[in-house]
Amino acid sequence: MSAVETMTSRERVLAALRREPVDRTPLVNPTSVATVELMDLVDAPFPEANREPELMARLAMTGHTELGFDAVMPVFSIIQESSALGCKIQWEQKDNWPTVRMREPVYETVDDIRLPDGWIDHPDTQCVIQAIKILRRELGDEVAIIGKTMGPWSLAYHTFGVEPFLLLSLDDPKATAEVLRRLEQVTIDFGLAQIEAGVDALTLPDHATGDLVSGEYYKRYLQEMHAAFAEQLPVPLILHICGRTVDRMGYIAETGMAAFHFDSKNTPAESMAAVEGRISLVGNVNNPETLFAKGPEAVRAEVLANLEAGVQMIGPECAIPLQTPIESLRAISETVHAYHA
Amino acid sequence: MTVTIPGRRIELVPMDPHCGDISIALYARQNQGELAAPADGVELATPADGVELAAPGDGGELAVVWTFSRRPGAAERVKAVARSIAVLAGLEPVEGRPATLRFGCGDWHEAALRRAFLEACKLGPDGEPAVRPLEVHDRQTGQAIRAVHIGGGTYRVEASGIEESQTSRAPAVARGLAKLAQLDPGPDDVTVAFPCGARHDALVGLLLPRALNVRAVIREEEMQAARGVLSAPSARQE
Repeated sequence: MSAVETMTSRERVLAALRREPVDRTPLVNPTSVATVELMDLVDAPFPEANREPELMARLAMTGHTELGFDAVMPVFSIIQESSALGCKIQWEQKDNWPTVRMREPVYETVDDIRLPDGWIDHPDTQCVIQAIKILRRELGDEVAIIGKTMGPWSLAYHTFGVEPFLLLSLDDPKATAEVLRRLEQVTIDFGLAQIEAGVDALTLPDHATGDLVSGEYYKRYLQEMHAAFAEQLPVPLILHICGRTVDRMGYIAETGMAAFHFDSKNTPAESMAAVEGRISLVGNVNNPETLFAKGPEAVRAEVLANLEAGVQMIGPECAIPLQTPIESLRAISETVHAYHA
Repeated sequence: MTVTIPGRRIELVPMDPHCGDISIALYARQNQGELAAPADGVELATPADGVELAAPGDGGELAVVWTFSRRPGAAERVKAVARSIAVLAGLEPVEGRPATLRFGCGDWHEAALRRAFLEACKLGPDGEPAVRPLEVHDRQTGQAIRAVHIGGGTYRVEASGIEESQTSRAPAVARGLAKLAQLDPGPDDVTVAFPCGARHDALVGLLLPRALNVRAVIREEEMQAARGVLSAPSARQE
């Protein structure tokens, strides 16, 4: 344990999201720390834990009870609202992630975008809402609860397919902007529903990833929209974009979002320099190599690099592989506590 | 944090089709002779009965088969996997610890053990584990491949039935064995040696068929490891 802890987990996370002083660096997981072993521990396996609120809440709780994170995140996947929009979902099995069948898109043109009536009441969106309520009831004010609402760029990938949407963004900027404008309502409505259910913060993944979308693209299509989300969704927002993103971190820092969840392809020090204290950072322990394969010693080294750089919240870079060993995940918490001891 | 982790995880089978898709893992821990933590209902296979984790500690490594599942049948399944490893790889069960094993040589052969665990998990409730022979037929070439212990934990790989147009498969199989079990190379290209200097016929018999096609083994392992890794939508290959 850290020497003196004067804040609850929830207070600590909320303070870090506001870039206020904390008693120790909070451990935050904005995406998912579910593993198959944790699923077994609480008998809440995928895919059911993505579709049944009690199981979703029970599995999310292990992030705090077994791994020592200061926040829990029940929305493990990135497909809940896409399922409600009518996308075909491959729910997979316990050892794999549910995915949208993007080769079978539900929209082809802007005019196809019609949000199904009552999509927010769809079982796969309501599962999230109910799980959040369960977590709030169980955890009270002690632990931060983070929800997740997908950004319009990610939703466009899911509903149009990656390739068609990227081609559209090259060929027809006006139509692209209109697609994003129409899909942003999903982001807002699902976010508001989770806020009403009791979340303290929302992760907003919007996969304008470093490999396919440039920093300038981010500025052109998304920066303004993300700034609007920060005004319309009255909880701290944590933007999540995978990949090398240091070229857009300056733009992201101007959106008014509370935090950016950054990938290990960006070093902690350069990322802190890029955002210049205008937004909190959370991350960025590497998943596939460090957490999954290398083990606790390598985890410690990456956690320390983040702490030394002044990263405000420590956690994995993205949703961890489902086979990640528990001892590697615990090393994150142990290292942070030892650092502050 | 409430759950006890039995050590350093070596290998994981995320879904065991023979027991309700529970995960089963192989852990390594040093034998310090410590008492197990009080049973909390989670530690099914080994400490649940409250007996010692192992015989008084000798500092050597122990292999622990483990599950975090509390589903009916999970504990029995874990014990069955441990029994299968003991037979297939020639490990010794630790007295009073039905899912804890150690190498009789006192050394630790992790790479070979990992593969023994994966093989053991393939055996269902009706599958009786048996020590595999030190000889295997190579379907690709028709050659008979044999591993012969020549003393001090060193094995020589021999091939027979080599047709005129063929070369011996023995050097390739020896390399395969060395890779799969992390063995030392011998003085020539057909001998490999266990660093401990002890005889391990069961392990060699288990790995010999796999040594015929190491690439396939590695590919299978890589595919298994890639499952459960979430990709961004833009990075997905459908």
